[in-house]
Amino acid sequence: MLRERILKGIAVSQGIAQGKVFIYETKQVEVFQTPILPVYLKDETERFDRAIKKTKHELRNIQKRLNYEIGENFAQFLDAQIMMLSDKAIIRKVKARIAEEKLNAEYVYHNVIGEYAEKLGASKDTYLKERVADIWDVGSRVLRNLLGLTHSSVVEIPTGSIIVAHDISPSEAALINPKSVLGIATEAGGRTSHTAITARALEIPAVLGIKGLIGKIENGEKVILDGDRGIMIKNPSAGKIHFYEIAKKKVLELAKVLSPFSELPAKTQDGRRIDISANIEFFSEYTHAKKYGAEGIGLFRTEFLYLTRRGSPTEEEQYRVYDALAKRMKPCPVIIRTYDLGGDKIFSDYREANPFLGWRAIRVCLDELDFFKMQLRAILRASVNKNVKIMFPMISNHEEVKRIHLVFEKVKKELRAKKIDFDEEIQFGIMIETPSAALLSPHLAHQVDFFSIGSNDLTQYTLAVDRGNEKISQLFEHFHPAVLQLIKQIIDAGHQTHIWVGLCGELAADPLAIPLLIGMGIDELSMNPGSIPRAKMVVRAITIPECEEIAKGALNFRTPLEVKRYLRRNIHRKFPGIDKVIK
Amino acid sequence: MVKKPLEILNENGLHALPASRFVKLAEKFDCNVTLEKEGVEVSGKSIMGILTLACEKGSTVTLTCEGKDEKEAFKALRKILEGQD
Repeated sequence: MLRERILKGIAVSQGIAQGKVFIYETKQVEVFQTPILPVYLKDETERFDRAIKKTKHELRNIQKRLNYEIGENFAQFLDAQIMMLSDKAIIRKVKARIAEEKLNAEYVYHNVIGEYAEKLGASKDTYLKERVADIWDVGSRVLRNLLGLTHSSVVEIPTGSIIVAHDISPSEAALINPKSVLGIATEAGGRTSHTAITARALEIPAVLGIKGLIGKIENGEKVILDGDRGIMIKNPSAGKIHFYEIAKKKVLELAKVLSPFSELPAKTQDGRRIDISANIEFFSEYTHAKKYGAEGIGLFRTEFLYLTRRGSPTEEEQYRVYDALAKRMKPCPVIIRTYDLGGDKIFSDYREANPFLGWRAIRVCLDELDFFKMQLRAILRASVNKNVKIMFPMISNHEEVKRIHLVFEKVKKELRAKKIDFDEEIQFGIMIETPSAALLSPHLAHQVDFFSIGSNDLTQYTLAVDRGNEKISQLFEHFHPAVLQLIKQIIDAGHQTHIWVGLCGELAADPLAIPLLIGMGIDELSMNPGSIPRAKMVVRAITIPECEEIAKGALNFRTPLEVKRYLRRNIHRKFPGIDKVIK
Repeated sequence: MVKKPLEILNENGLHALPASRFVKLAEKFDCNVTLEKEGVEVSGKSIMGILTLACEKGSTVTLTCEGKDEKEAFKALRKILEGQD
């Protein structure tokens, strides 16, 4: 019996897959030198022209598909690829050298592309260096067309496969068929890579960034891919297989029970409506939000616009995404959160010792005003749709909110002067995710239209625990009494000033937390689209007075364990129907 | 002929997307467009050429436009290099 091995990577797309490994290698296209007789030189150049034309046609088709499935902003890398392909200087050079050297088109083209790739690879700039992959992505496509080879083995992958690769090029990732591919594992890439975004859009599990993956795995072997925990299990033991089979079965059964709830309103037994909305990271996820019955977008994380294109999107590009999202979600609200980026993501030479306590999010934006104002203009312009709200992350003091107001009003004034329309009534909200903002919430409430509690960061900052650190991650506890006390204070402060209070973070989707939060008076819960049916099911099973009773008792405990035990007991007693969705 | 050294002020340098905007715009003009950096000269209508120049933010390139619409071309193209488009 072979020993079980667990290969760790980055969890980028949820779900569990059991299947056969299909090692996908982007094989270098082999090219041979063949002399061409002078009479055939014209044919040779024409053959080259046809290959370029065919390749352009293929890329346009991929782009159309991506525009439709994921969104225009994402498919822009194909614009650059199409331009590389149709670059006249290269085409001219290739044709001249075919005539001069009397050699075959593929050989000459391969050399010319190789020369450019080499120059680019020598660049000091890491971004440009990475474009070498783009050049070869396009170049190999042309070469395969010249040689009459079929592309993308991705399309031909047998049903029931888990793709294992070093990396998958963007144009290849776009062709992955979710009917045959059960999961994706790669050595390269991270949360913002094209492969990650494609996997999430297709709702197939993916674990990326597994070091040395290809050397450790063989074609055809059976593995388990766990996109929730970010691991791939090689030679899984009978126990593990059983564990995952049961887990998968449970997920499927539960999904069946819960799916009807996506269509139903989130209304408690005694008739109170709770807004259940979705947290999304990129544009096309609005389809998931709708599919699972979200009543709005509670958090649109704009940093992905920035990270996926590795640079600041222009005002126009941002506007197009925000506007399209607002239009597709109408009449439901869309809350756009301004960049929550670490300084190191924006300035490649910036490093700091404590990024989570450092120059990030609103702190960067208030220092880099041009950058910030560009985003504010784009959001304001999209607000003509009347369903856009704006929200600012990582607030830790009163002055920040004051300064944001000043900048925001200035941008509005500039737009008015240019006669550019926007929603004058646009709601202005802040995230409460630092203990200082939570404690100051009675004051902050006077300055804003709503609060959104970022429970993940609030927990991390309140407990001083980095959940990414394995040695202490067990200390990270949403149900810590200190965190719950702050949440209660924030909600009370908001309501005393008559503003609404939402919560986005994992707590919002936790069936154990929902009755408690509703009992504390929360107005909105925003979560992963996939968790929405379950949350609606919980909301529809409860009544307000009983939740209030639960909330009253929940704040009297000393430890997270005591809180959870109390919640379990009381939910079981008052709302036994929810039991089956509580772990 | 209009010829002038310019500093790249575009936030991320002349990367794939600004470079492709540059080429698209350059192609609208009849005049010859060239970019020169540290002794290497490339056509301003070739995205691959521009990328290989590796124009980071803060570097200096010489933009040359030569032909009947050179003035308008220069004016429009410099905006992209200076990040004002």
